Amino acid sequence: MKKNNLKAGLLFGILLVFGNSCKEEFLEVTPNGALDAKVLATKDGVDALLIGAYAMVDGVASNGFGWEAASSNWVYGSIRGLEANKGTDSGDQPDINPLQQYNEDPTNPYINIKWRSVYDGIARCNSALTVLAEAEASGAVTTAEAESFRKQARTLRGYYHLEAYRMWTKIPYVDENTDQSTLTNDDDIIAKVIADLQEGTSLPNNMGQVGRFNGTVAKVLLAKAQMQMNKDYAAAKTLLEDVIASGTAPDGSPIGLEPKFGDVFDAANRNGIEAIYTVQYSVNDGSGGWNAGWGEVLNFPYKSGGSPGGCCGFFQPAHEFVNSFRTSGGLPLLDFSYNSQPVKDDQGLGVADPFTEDTGPLDPRLDWTVGRRGVPYLDWGPHTGQDWIRDQSYAGPYSPMKQVYKKSQEGQLTEVGNWTSGWTANGYRLIRFADVKLLLAECMIETGDLSGARDEVNDIRNRAANSAGFVKEADGTTNAANYVINPYPASGAPFDTQTNARAALYMERKLELGMEGHRYFDLQRWGIVQTELNRVLAYEKTLRSTLYGSATVGPEDVNFPIPQDQIDITVGKLKQNR
Amino acid sequence: MNMKKVYNNLKRSMLLLVWLASSHSLFAQERVVSGSVKDENGNGMPGVNVIIKGTSTGTATDASGQYRVNVADGQAIVVFSFIGYVTKEMAIGTQSTLDVQMDLDVQTLTELVVTGYATQEKKDLTGAVGTVKTKDLIAIPSGTVTSQLQGRIAGVTVAGDGRPGQAAKVRIRGFGSFENNDPLYIVDGVPTQDISTIVSNDIESMSVLKDAGAASIYGSRASNGVVLITTKRGTSSGVKVNYDMYVGTQDPGKGPDFLLNAQEMADTQWLVYDNDATPTETHPFYGLSSNPNPTLPPWAGDTDWYKTITRSALIMNHDLSLSGGNDKSKFYGGFNYFNQEGIVVTNFSKRFSGRFNSEFKVHDRVRLGENLTITGRTGKGVEGNQTEGSPVSNVYAIQPIIPSIITIPVNGISHNFVPGEYGGTGIAPRAGNGANPLAELNRNADDRASDLRLIGSVFMDIKIVDALSFKTTFGGTYQTEYNTDWTGSTYERSENVATPSYNENARFRQDWVWTNTLTFSKTFGSSKLNAVAGYEAVKYGIGREMSATGAGYFSDAVSFRTLNNRASIQSVSGDYFTPTSLVSTFLRADYSYSDKYLLSATVRRDGSSRFGADFRYGVFPSVSAGWRISEESFLSGVDVISDLKIKGSYGTMGNQLALSPQNQFFLFGGAVGDSNYDLNGAGSSALKGFRPTRIGNPDAKWETNTTINIGFDAGILDNKFQLSFDWYTKNTNDLLYNPRIPGTNGAADQPFINVAEMKNTGIDLQLGYKQVFSSDLRFDASFVMTTYKNEILKIAEGLPFFDSGTSRIGPFNRNIVGQSMSEFFGYQVEGLFQSSAEVTGAPTQAGAEAGFFRYANIDNSNNVIDPNDRTSIGNPNPKFTYGLNLGVTYKNFDITTFFYGSQGNDIFNYNKWWLDFWPSFQNQKSKDLLNSWTPTNTGSTTPKASNKSNFSTNTQSVSYYVEDGSFMRLKNLQIGYTMPKSLISKIGLSTARIYAQGINLFTITKYSGLDPDVNNGDDRNFGVDQGNYPLVKQYILGVNIGF
Repeated sequence: MKKNNLKAGLLFGILLVFGNSCKEEFLEVTPNGALDAKVLATKDGVDALLIGAYAMVDGVASNGFGWEAASSNWVYGSIRGLEANKGTDSGDQPDINPLQQYNEDPTNPYINIKWRSVYDGIARCNSALTVLAEAEASGAVTTAEAESFRKQARTLRGYYHLEAYRMWTKIPYVDENTDQSTLTNDDDIIAKVIADLQEGTSLPNNMGQVGRFNGTVAKVLLAKAQMQMNKDYAAAKTLLEDVIASGTAPDGSPIGLEPKFGDVFDAANRNGIEAIYTVQYSVNDGSGGWNAGWGEVLNFPYKSGGSPGGCCGFFQPAHEFVNSFRTSGGLPLLDFSYNSQPVKDDQGLGVADPFTEDTGPLDPRLDWTVGRRGVPYLDWGPHTGQDWIRDQSYAGPYSPMKQVYKKSQEGQLTEVGNWTSGWTANGYRLIRFADVKLLLAECMIETGDLSGARDEVNDIRNRAANSAGFVKEADGTTNAANYVINPYPASGAPFDTQTNARAALYMERKLELGMEGHRYFDLQRWGIVQTELNRVLAYEKTLRSTLYGSATVGPEDVNFPIPQDQIDITVGKLKQNR
Repeated sequence: MNMKKVYNNLKRSMLLLVWLASSHSLFAQERVVSGSVKDENGNGMPGVNVIIKGTSTGTATDASGQYRVNVADGQAIVVFSFIGYVTKEMAIGTQSTLDVQMDLDVQTLTELVVTGYATQEKKDLTGAVGTVKTKDLIAIPSGTVTSQLQGRIAGVTVAGDGRPGQAAKVRIRGFGSFENNDPLYIVDGVPTQDISTIVSNDIESMSVLKDAGAASIYGSRASNGVVLITTKRGTSSGVKVNYDMYVGTQDPGKGPDFLLNAQEMADTQWLVYDNDATPTETHPFYGLSSNPNPTLPPWAGDTDWYKTITRSALIMNHDLSLSGGNDKSKFYGGFNYFNQEGIVVTNFSKRFSGRFNSEFKVHDRVRLGENLTITGRTGKGVEGNQTEGSPVSNVYAIQPIIPSIITIPVNGISHNFVPGEYGGTGIAPRAGNGANPLAELNRNADDRASDLRLIGSVFMDIKIVDALSFKTTFGGTYQTEYNTDWTGSTYERSENVATPSYNENARFRQDWVWTNTLTFSKTFGSSKLNAVAGYEAVKYGIGREMSATGAGYFSDAVSFRTLNNRASIQSVSGDYFTPTSLVSTFLRADYSYSDKYLLSATVRRDGSSRFGADFRYGVFPSVSAGWRISEESFLSGVDVISDLKIKGSYGTMGNQLALSPQNQFFLFGGAVGDSNYDLNGAGSSALKGFRPTRIGNPDAKWETNTTINIGFDAGILDNKFQLSFDWYTKNTNDLLYNPRIPGTNGAADQPFINVAEMKNTGIDLQLGYKQVFSSDLRFDASFVMTTYKNEILKIAEGLPFFDSGTSRIGPFNRNIVGQSMSEFFGYQVEGLFQSSAEVTGAPTQAGAEAGFFRYANIDNSNNVIDPNDRTSIGNPNPKFTYGLNLGVTYKNFDITTFFYGSQGNDIFNYNKWWLDFWPSFQNQKSKDLLNSWTPTNTGSTTPKASNKSNFSTNTQSVSYYVEDGSFMRLKNLQIGYTMPKSLISKIGLSTARIYAQGINLFTITKYSGLDPDVNNGDDRNFGVDQGNYPLVKQYILGVNIGF
């Protein structure tokens, strides 16, 4: 009995030790909670990867890309273009300070995040294309479906590369066949970007969904690329004329000028007639704000209660920018003499201190672009001055406006239940009709059609001059300020010489598209970054000395340095661009 | 194996037992000797072996230390023995009563040490193994064993954490990995990464395996060191009940003494106006800036925020243990209740724990047993530590002018305040963005984090023959957690939360291990051999989690807080963890020859699911040897040296903690917030999208950590002095690291590859001194010192460094080849510019002006201060850490003191960024600004008070923030009184001791912040003080009672 027990015990032990030792399958695990490429090589899978690639159009994603990378370019286009300063207080997001003082160094984290965001967009396009090739080879998608996917992915990839080009100029081009281990930024990549965008121009206009890129979007992007990278205004002109003549929004709906200027920026109109491509933001969709206007979430007045958002007082319009809305005879002062008759502001005044508003003639677009004391701010009531501003002594008296939602939209078109209400569905108008018309006007000027340019510019001015679209006082009828605006005369200056016409166009883009992230890149295209910004800076420094210090714009400031981080990680394969 | 032989052996031993049991009847002439055995404190000692010398007759003392033994005529000597005590031999003579006092074995050479899959006598150890006594652990009142380890074992560095219930960070001999340097803990055979649910009073032994000689039997998980814990078993001598309790109070102290008050803040604003030549304005609080002096508004408070959010907090612990058994079974039951309030209001941690250990001899050769702890915890944490927005950080953030509670009506910017409401930054513009921490704490007071965790094992031990036994153990852990987090709407802030939201999250984790070992143990003449062969299968990281946040609640009531009652879903997320499996075989052999020559070898072969099929298995061998020179004849005449052993080891270990379980796979996925897009333009929903989430590396292989250890153990002057010294060097090759990939690859997780190399060298030193002056007066001292020098040898091909950490101004820590982990990196401040002439003459530096930082031009290749001029500006790694324990026993009184210190480490005081710079948010500032640089106060080291934020002020990592973080702290001062036995035995007690204790009574440091013990946190960016929850003074009264 005892003997048997013991024997059994020993056998059991031997079994335990040796019977179990070669279970290879025990060491095979399945990665949980994720998919591999095989599963995605279907029509729906490729489309989902493409949706993932579209998801980077706003520049922002919860895997590491915040407002630093916003495609609305409020930092790189507007602040860098001196339409606005950082705003808020001196020490918040201090990495913007050197960008607005033109003394940023390559270690600045903002430009690195922007870089990574743009190239993550490209990587997503490339992974969609790679999986698409598998799906196509296996017959899981039809040739026609594959063509649409491929064109969308390549247009997107072109868009991201164009964004990178505007930021850094000397950039690497990455497609699905790129060998990353030898990638440099030495090559001329322009033709490749153009080719990607060209591919998209044969997409249909009606893509069925407003968030996809269609033929119209691709044509505008290609035109912008031709202007920005190639100075090929003739090619761009053809594309833009085509867009104006027969373009549509991606869902096939018609495009044109919104009758009232202010309505362009209404969150409810985000996909309105003016929108050629709006970056689609969505609120209360379970993303905790990441799919809402995360990129612009800082850019609301600072007064919590009675003003929109709740945070953080960034992106305050500059004095020089505001002054340029001064009109004389309903026309802007193209000689910059507006700075000698500046718009009156409440700088230095407490909320209780008496203040009289400016009474001089102003372009009505000012009060849809800039919040200033005493003037109604959408449906939020009049801007009350110092208490809407985080640190007026640092950043001045003005508030941003174009991305702001209406009081009546709070909770419907804004994210609920967070430290701010500033996550909105008010998608950034990446391409709007007025922009296209002004780009066309620019092409016309550069190709010698000055009167055609004047017509385009005047279309824009006439829309702005629609008095039904002026900001009104609480009574609904009285204009909130002394708005005087007229179209340019049918003959004579400024559309008499190319030089004069350029000055008018440059000003018109500032007034029409101000605070929309274009200015710095416009100056870059026009080749006047240094002269124009130093001129503005000279004025701005007299008022905002703490903010700008001894800043000057040097010849290297026509773009941004390649992030040092990327140079380090690539062990020097990427070269600094300056 | 010959079964017949086994059977014969068994029969023989059975016969012996029968013979022994009946032996007393064989001797006619015998008498009874009885008595009591007491320990060094005069308390009865249970379980002491009492044997008549030269016979097998014997017994053990009972629970109160009494024994009775039959003694035959002619038997003259009784031998008393107990582990850890000097064996005593007493002549009986004609006495019938023989009382004995046992002395602690200062030599402790017979001390048994638990090592990998074996138990060894300390004198036979050839690897580097540190041990700590349970008594020393529980000397520090804390809910976690890890924080009690600080300063107790040479080679073990522990960074404290002041939050109740928070585990401290334990590092053994520096850092072997960039990713995870947590040691492997083995509790009663069960591997785990978390011992926070283990009650220290239940611990029987704790060994730290430090070198390859000791640890490489744990193969691929050993390179961060292995901590072996065994819990208490019963004794076979009747039932014993112990009750230990303490209760105390924690004193938050005065808090920071370097903050400006309301008036000083106002004066500093005026100074800033002057320094910046700011145009006249109406300041929202202080009136017109052209006024000669600021005036405080009528609502102004002068709040001491530290005082507002802290309290004297309770700490209380109860341990009840029952142990006992007989020759067939043993049991131990331990029950613990621990309750620690935080010094921050509403913060607490409570723990209930039950331990159930038992062991049964079901057959003469078969033992069955189990170990189990069930621990339930619940608590209210603080929102992060060392992070912006935590209560302690908010003390440094919110201005003193803001009343914590409103006393007079104020029309603020965000709200019209009435008395009784919380004050906050919404009271006026420029009040900053600091939250009223009191309001926050009270709103969140009902948040709970709770968990239930089981850790345990069952085993069977079969003695096949006397020399060979087989043991199989199956064990594991299971843990469920449930947390709730309410974010109430606010009215008092400049940045208000408009709508409340509520998060619930839950997860479970489990793992299991199955270990089988064959142990062979035999003595052949002068040779002694112990060998263990084993097989082990492990699966860990099994689990799931989910989290959901609802927004918009009709009512704030706690009872209304369910996810159902939300207005909208803010986020829903979940995860299904990818587990890891391991299959291992191992072998160890310990050989000694005449107690002089010791040789030990171990080898383990591990297979892991974390590697691709081609690189799945790794082999980790080690060899170690020792020579007890003191046993040699040539030292026999040297009386000074009572014991001397030199030892050395060489071997390899691995680490797979760094690696993601998914490392080998290329994967796609994506969350709502990173890959979904609203293609339809709905505005309130987004379509599902995917993105590449992981780039796989099927070719990752084991990293190899090669360790050499050389040391000696010595006993001097009758072992009064004990010295243990180890020198080690630890090299990790093929270190698994996931170097960041270029942005052009996209943002998928980068794979771990075998690229890096790291080296650690150091010394572990342990000194002991013990002196018995008389039976009334004893003294003992021990000193433990730990040093490590960590050096990064390689990060990745061509990559000389990587940065780590986040702050408002970027990372402060740079891990650089040729330097230690986590060193501080930035611009070296040479001083302050004294004049604009100096600025003009200096290298070009953005933002430079008189009164701002002047940085060193390290890179002389140009005359510009640029990123190439940055350098290492401090090192958070201490030169050494030490613990000093002193104990005196006089009659019934005992006094113990314990000092812990860290020397030569720097702290990056990030709080100074908030406090010393006006533009670092319009928040609380420091008294340093009162003496800041002005044209007439040129000697100051604090830059000019200015609202300018630029390269020369507050946007860079600079040496200004770096301070010497060395400190020495009196961690424990304890005075105890043991009741005289004569007194307590009347009420049925066997022991009774009361004590009073002071914890952290003083700290000697030059560091200006609240608490210099800030090294908790990520190994790649530690040493930064971002508002650390401080360790504070505690005053404790305690009782130990035994029945």
